[in-house]
Amino acid sequence: MTDQIKIYIPKETSACSVGSDLIAEKITDLTQGYNHISVVRNGSWGAFWLEPFVEIEKDGKRTGVSYLNKETSHLSSIEEFFDDFYNSQPFNIQDIAFIKRQTRLVFSRIGLYDPLDLNQYRNSHGYKGLEKSFEIGQQQTIDEIKKSGLNGRGGAAFPTAIKMQTVFDQESAIKYIACNADEGDGGTFSDRLIMECDPFSLIEGMTIAAYSVGANHGYIYLRSEYPLAKYFLTEAIKILKTKNLLGKNILGTNFTFDIELRIGAGSYVCGEETAMMESIEGKRGLVRSKPPLPAIKGLFNQPTLINNVITLASLSSILSFGTGIFSQYGSGKSIGTMPYQLCGNIKHGGLIEIPFGITLNEMIYDFGAGTFNDKPVHAVQIGGPLGIYLPANLLNTPLTVETLIDLKGSLGHGGVIVFDDSTNMALQAKFAMDFCQKESCGKCTPCRIGSVRGVELIDKIYNKTAVNADRMLLEELCETLETTSLCAMGGMTPNPVRSIIKYFPNEMMN
Amino acid sequence: MPALHAVQKELGHLDNECIKTLAKSFNISNAEVIDVITYYDDFRLKKEGQYIIKVCQAEACQSLGCRTLLDTLKSHFELDIGQTSNDYSVTLKEVFCLGNCALSPSVMINEDVIGRASSEKILAYLSEKQNISHND
Repeated sequence: MTDQIKIYIPKETSACSVGSDLIAEKITDLTQGYNHISVVRNGSWGAFWLEPFVEIEKDGKRTGVSYLNKETSHLSSIEEFFDDFYNSQPFNIQDIAFIKRQTRLVFSRIGLYDPLDLNQYRNSHGYKGLEKSFEIGQQQTIDEIKKSGLNGRGGAAFPTAIKMQTVFDQESAIKYIACNADEGDGGTFSDRLIMECDPFSLIEGMTIAAYSVGANHGYIYLRSEYPLAKYFLTEAIKILKTKNLLGKNILGTNFTFDIELRIGAGSYVCGEETAMMESIEGKRGLVRSKPPLPAIKGLFNQPTLINNVITLASLSSILSFGTGIFSQYGSGKSIGTMPYQLCGNIKHGGLIEIPFGITLNEMIYDFGAGTFNDKPVHAVQIGGPLGIYLPANLLNTPLTVETLIDLKGSLGHGGVIVFDDSTNMALQAKFAMDFCQKESCGKCTPCRIGSVRGVELIDKIYNKTAVNADRMLLEELCETLETTSLCAMGGMTPNPVRSIIKYFPNEMMN
Repeated sequence: MPALHAVQKELGHLDNECIKTLAKSFNISNAEVIDVITYYDDFRLKKEGQYIIKVCQAEACQSLGCRTLLDTLKSHFELDIGQTSNDYSVTLKEVFCLGNCALSPSVMINEDVIGRASSEKILAYLSEKQNISHND
């Protein structure tokens, strides 16, 4: 019998955005009639500059070649493809520094295999976490999460176990869990990668969290801009239902849990947890005032556990490998690994999961190989549209939750966007206000009207017609937004603006 | 919202008839249906183009020239943001983040994302799609 050959071609948004589907179509055509050759649509390794990264597994060896700007349409046989592939210096992606230097705990499976292959998932410790959780019980599961030191990865870095404990302690016959998959921050894609490349880990994590707090019904609120993630989650839920890993009597216990996938409709603020609940309830995504906290009175007025995708996807590893895998790294609010997303004007952009504390320098030059167009780095924005811009002389800043708070910013969801020296910083400041103006839910006045006034004021600076009183007014406006907005959207919009005034003062002068 | 998505997927947009029918079946007023529709960018009251081109205007794409890209597409199609061509072939929109930020700038055409986008790439994509549909 001929040895089996597997050809891996990723099915993931970034890979597909540079032609992965076309290559898969072509290679699948060429393999017709060869029973020993199979095409596997795997996830992405998160090293996006290599995409579409095609790999071949043969004789127990797996190597790959970047097919970016590489023609495949002229190939007429699979032998021709193999020749072309092996003449292009294939290498093992796990040997490159970008992957080797990472500590992939939560993203340990992405890229390895077909994300919907449940056998592979279970063979790589999948569902060990849930089994452990069932074995030790609800309270003990929460205690384990507490010991691990896991904080929410959505942006607020709130201790996950405290939320879980609060929901667990509520005496209510109905409780819900909602996964916030409305990853709207510009410059972030880690949630999308988990959902597209390892959807079972998210669902297992959700099941663990639901079991531990006593919720039987869960929602995943997914943004509409992620159609491929929708496909993978829908399929994953279907598969798990047939395998008794969702639904009644999961793994033979008397625990019942169902998940409903809800698709957003293009509203950024619906990533704010209370607006998300309104949207799930079928209303306009208006922010609710807190208290009451969602953990006490959330979806449909019932106690609701709301967590981000990465937070939930972390639970399985913490339970199956022990709390130490997380707590061995970092301190304070920065415990465990953080999936940073390096992007923008960068050569080697992608997902970097590594313990907290890496500096921007290490990230941009050791991982990222410098800017995409070789121009000098001028500014870096950290933590999405509400995050601060740092100048090139602060690239030695270590990225932890605490250092960013000290700099009056936020690590947020871990996005790091690089800008070169052609960037007009006044325009970036204006965009921060403009974004708030476009995406504000309109419920509170500072955010709804303040953002409009902000755009007008920065426009004056940009057009060089601002007077000193305008600058003072802008600072006052920032203070009002910060202290009187209902949610983080208005409250944090001043962060990027103030950081630009502080670190790029010349660009904010007439 | 699942109902709005489903109806829009079938009919392309949500006209007065849809609103009335939806209001009746959910036992709410027409105004309440409109209230939800108009909040969300994805729901549309009017017919839009066969190809909805969403050009990402978020920060990562800004770092690699998405503002210029949008301007080029605007002048090519002679459309402003949110407008649809007279023959209903193309609607031009802006979007904030498609999650493809390491391969900026990004553009989404219907459900396909195009990375390292340029106006040439977008136009080539469209003409190829149109060729396929002509040959069908």
